[in-house]
Amino acid sequence: MLQPHSFLWHYLWLAPQVLQFGLALILWRRGFQRRFPVFFLYLIFEAVEACGLYGMDFLPSVSVTTWWVAFCVGLVLEGFIRIAVVGELFLHLLRSRPAIAKVGSRLISGVGAVIVLVATIAAAYVPVDTLQFAIGYRAHILQQTLYMIECGLILFLFLFTFSFGLTWGQPTFGIALGRGISSSVHLATWAVMANGGLPHSRYLLDFLNMATYQVCVLLWFYFLLVPQKSATTSAVSLPENHLDIWNRELERLLQQP
Amino acid sequence: MTLAIFIVIAAVLALGVILSLAVSQHLQAKKTADLAGAIRPIDVEAFRNLIDPAEDAYLRSCLPPPAFRTVRRERLRAMAAYVHAVGANAAVLVRVGEAALAAGDPRFAAAAHQLVNDGLLLRRNATIALLRIYVALAWPNSGFAAERVVERYEQVSSVAMLLGRLQNPGAAVRL
Repeated sequence: MLQPHSFLWHYLWLAPQVLQFGLALILWRRGFQRRFPVFFLYLIFEAVEACGLYGMDFLPSVSVTTWWVAFCVGLVLEGFIRIAVVGELFLHLLRSRPAIAKVGSRLISGVGAVIVLVATIAAAYVPVDTLQFAIGYRAHILQQTLYMIECGLILFLFLFTFSFGLTWGQPTFGIALGRGISSSVHLATWAVMANGGLPHSRYLLDFLNMATYQVCVLLWFYFLLVPQKSATTSAVSLPENHLDIWNRELERLLQQP
Repeated sequence: MTLAIFIVIAAVLALGVILSLAVSQHLQAKKTADLAGAIRPIDVEAFRNLIDPAEDAYLRSCLPPPAFRTVRRERLRAMAAYVHAVGANAAVLVRVGEAALAAGDPRFAAAAHQLVNDGLLLRRNATIALLRIYVALAWPNSGFAAERVVERYEQVSSVAMLLGRLQNPGAAVRL
């Protein structure tokens, strides 16, 4: 069952893409693309790209090199879109909070620059020792680099919201969680592949990647389509006692010369 | 493979942090009813006394340098505890404000929005102040100013009271 070109392998390659098309269609009808245009583009692009690569994998006229070139081109475009998705999430978090917009933008720029530097250094240290499949190895390195950047940015996003006590909107949270899980698992698997690990059982890593992505797509279905349960229907009231204490303290302060 | 092992460990750690933060934030968002109880009372006057440069100058003039450094470190630790509590209260107030905004009542929108913004500024200032306190712990003779935290705390408190008054007019009478 856990073999390349098995039923499970075909299912895990195609099912998330079909689900993504379906999700994109439902979201289009709900006008989601106006609120999250980049993520909407990502859903469409990812589904088209994966289906295209799946088709190319079966066409006898497509050589291995051509397939990997197409994979790399798609990967670069997808990488830019994925990082733009993180930017979109950050924009959603900061848009209604001008008090930390400036410090947030500076922080993510600084952290982003550091992550890019670390990812570049990590890529430079990856051994490229099999010239026969050089394009494949380069694609693995590119994957490792892009997922490292994305994973670092998503991690920063979660730490940032946690440290400031910010509340996520349900769609923003769902997108960030899905991309966070996907990028961290893919980072680990592509790092193993790029560094020449598990040479005879890499298909197991492919299974792990595809299964993880399937879970992430299902998470997006839940967080983007299931209506948000309102925690409170009425406004939260502050405790009277604390207000009294604060008021007393402030009055004491005001009475100081 | 050493690099791969290192990256895999980093990725697993990142996944663990993301999942734990996601779960805690998701659960937190559902528990807005208990928010008010999470606010810890702050003795602003005692805090003002701690950060008063005149107090430090007086202690410096009275005590020999080693004793001053010990006392100064104790005061800085107490200051850090206060600032930590202020930061935690700010985070709670941000959530109170966001819960009020989410309720969608236009009567509270302006006060809630101001509370969120002031709370976030206070949270930022508290983080910066904590960093400065930890630096000062290493160099107790260096100067330190945390007045902005106090000022911001007073401002946020007044906005919180305004929101509380709008939401609960009965309590406003007692204030």
